[in-house]
Amino acid sequence: MNKIRKKRLVSVMTLIATSFLGVYLILSALNSNLDYFYTPSEIINAEIPNNKRVKLGGMVQMQSVIRDGTNISFNITDFSNSINVSYNGVVPDLFKEGSGIVAYGMIVDNRLIAENIFAKHDENYMPPNIKIPSE
Amino acid sequence: MIVEISHFFSILSAGLFFLAFIFSTRTYQGNHNLELLVNRIFSYGFYFIFISFLLYVWLAIQSDFSIRYIAEHSNKDLPTFYKISSIWSAHEGSMFLWILFLAGWSQLFNYLLSKNDLLKAPAIGVLAFIIFGFLIFLLFTSNPFETILPIAPINGADINPVLQDPALVIHPPFLYLGYVGFVIAFAYNTAFLIKGDMQINWEDVIRPWSLAAWILLTIGISLGSWWAYYELGWGGYWFWDPVENVALMPWLAGTALIHSLYVSSKSKVLRGWTILLSISVFSLSLFGAFIVRSGIIDSVHAFANDPQRGLYLLAFSAVLITTSLIFYVYRLPQLISKNLVVAKSKESFLSINNILFAAAIFAVMLGVMYPLIFDYLYDKRISVGPPYYNTIFAPLTFLAAIFLVFSVGSLWQRTSKLLNFKSFLSMSILFAAAASICISYIYQDFQWWFVGALFSGLLILIRYFLLIVDSMIKKSYFNKPSAIAHIGFGVLILATALNASLSYEKIINIKPGEIYKDSDYEFYLIDFDLINEPNYDSVRAKFSVKNIYTPNKTFFMFPEKRKYFIRGQITSESAIKITPYKDIYMTLGDQLDNGYWVVNIQYNYLIRWIWIAAAIMGIGGFAALMERLKRK
Repeated sequence: MNKIRKKRLVSVMTLIATSFLGVYLILSALNSNLDYFYTPSEIINAEIPNNKRVKLGGMVQMQSVIRDGTNISFNITDFSNSINVSYNGVVPDLFKEGSGIVAYGMIVDNRLIAENIFAKHDENYMPPNIKIPSE
Repeated sequence: MIVEISHFFSILSAGLFFLAFIFSTRTYQGNHNLELLVNRIFSYGFYFIFISFLLYVWLAIQSDFSIRYIAEHSNKDLPTFYKISSIWSAHEGSMFLWILFLAGWSQLFNYLLSKNDLLKAPAIGVLAFIIFGFLIFLLFTSNPFETILPIAPINGADINPVLQDPALVIHPPFLYLGYVGFVIAFAYNTAFLIKGDMQINWEDVIRPWSLAAWILLTIGISLGSWWAYYELGWGGYWFWDPVENVALMPWLAGTALIHSLYVSSKSKVLRGWTILLSISVFSLSLFGAFIVRSGIIDSVHAFANDPQRGLYLLAFSAVLITTSLIFYVYRLPQLISKNLVVAKSKESFLSINNILFAAAIFAVMLGVMYPLIFDYLYDKRISVGPPYYNTIFAPLTFLAAIFLVFSVGSLWQRTSKLLNFKSFLSMSILFAAAASICISYIYQDFQWWFVGALFSGLLILIRYFLLIVDSMIKKSYFNKPSAIAHIGFGVLILATALNASLSYEKIINIKPGEIYKDSDYEFYLIDFDLINEPNYDSVRAKFSVKNIYTPNKTFFMFPEKRKYFIRGQITSESAIKITPYKDIYMTLGDQLDNGYWVVNIQYNYLIRWIWIAAAIMGIGGFAALMERLKRK
């Protein structure tokens, strides 16, 4: 093999290796930062590793909101199961009993310690996979 | 009556654009009269859509609620300002505006481009086809002219209160102007690929257009970020929301495009890559329109869900992009330059950064699409959070900054000796390293991204500082617009890193008459005011705040909660005290049974500088545009 060809081969190999490395790094970053979305019924049966943050979606159960100082605790329900959520902070404006929300945080002893509470900017929003029973 | 005229003019415009497209396909033999006819028809197409839009604005100002769209998104009591902006507060009207801008850019191009330009007729043909396709989309799937008959409602349903805001009146127009501005590069390059005359300097034609679109897109994105910060009460400037991401992708591709165009026009290398980028930018803009308007992705920004619209947009975009790509692949052998990029030349560093930008776009695209793929494959809902984007963007940005600095003193088409001991580059690296270590010590933050951002941000600033001083002493030339824009980039890196590292928040309970003491500030809650406005009631807290170190200077802050009558929606209005170094950002929470209120106080460091940095980048782009126009 002559010199120029060898040089070319090396640069092509480096290019391929770098792009593989790049794709690998991006995919591993993606894999370790996925947040799974659950409904209360799903989360009861799910095995969630410690230190893993999840999203829990559903309706804020009626008469479940308890405020204590800057803390707020309430139940998220999908009308068959409910999970208790506690949060320290200001809840979104659209948060109220009966509204659809998503809480983000870690599960500790079957409770969700929330870091964030999301309410969509739409009064009629309901998180996916939640069916409101007709009255 | 007026609505029928407006509707009719839009239909007429669609017909004219279709005619312009058909005739343009017949101009191959260089029939000059036919070309003039195409240009004329095209202009009339624009005039009719323009008048149609003006009439629609008039209808919105008149609050004509016999039109369904206006009835559902406007209200009699709104100020005129918001009556107009209600047009782009939802899908149909904003699509109308989008198309108006598309036609506007195209007409400006039609008007300014010399009639002797060999690619004018085919480029106008491509543009006419695109505008026609979108007008059909508007008229058949998203008709803003639909009327409610026989009885019109007396009052409208109102615009969402969080959208009643000056920044949001101008945010969508700027964003759309930026998005669709890249259509010129797309159309002209597609025309170039169709004709296949390799002698044509398409780089010089599309550079100013791409630059102008890039500036507007930069402004549009920044305005959205600024609005979200003060209006939504979260106190952040970027959320990696899917819809933000689909605006970021064309911006990244557009940034790569204006740099790559520079390389191609200087030394005729990377032509194939540059054309691919110009196709990508517009494709990503179309992709953005598809994501936002199909309801496929759950987002705060997404418009109502309608699969039919999504399908049409997807099919039409696919036709445009594949056609363009087929010609691209066909012409690619001719496009590949025989000259290779010389190692360690200016082109080589710009090429590396092109690859980094492509990686960033790939990463964002993956983050947006992965939840959809995952849902499809495993029937499980996931989302990709900010940590993913931060992990990817931090190292890519640092690398891009370093190669940018390498490119500053390097030469076109020649290997540059950069790293000898006394060079400006070595000096910059030394200073930046020393300074970033010192700053990390001061703030006691040694996280890799923080140190990395300090180093790369300072590296850019120091390198350009040395360049400017050196050029002033030697009275030599340096690229001023580029220096301005890149200094903006350096400031952006520093501001985002310091903001992420230093900012913190406190959540407190307080009632009137009480004082809350923080490390630097004292917050005294005086009382609450109840305010009655025409369209909302409001509870407004009155805080007197003083800095412990300068107790004589007190200032007031008024966070409030509003309840809008028509929709019954409650919104928080944060109170923000701006200082050069940080913002104090106060949001009122709920009242507890014992009379206490929950209040959130955030200290957001250097957040203003993020938008200032974006503005500097925009100014740099504007200076570059002016320089190009002057040279012509």
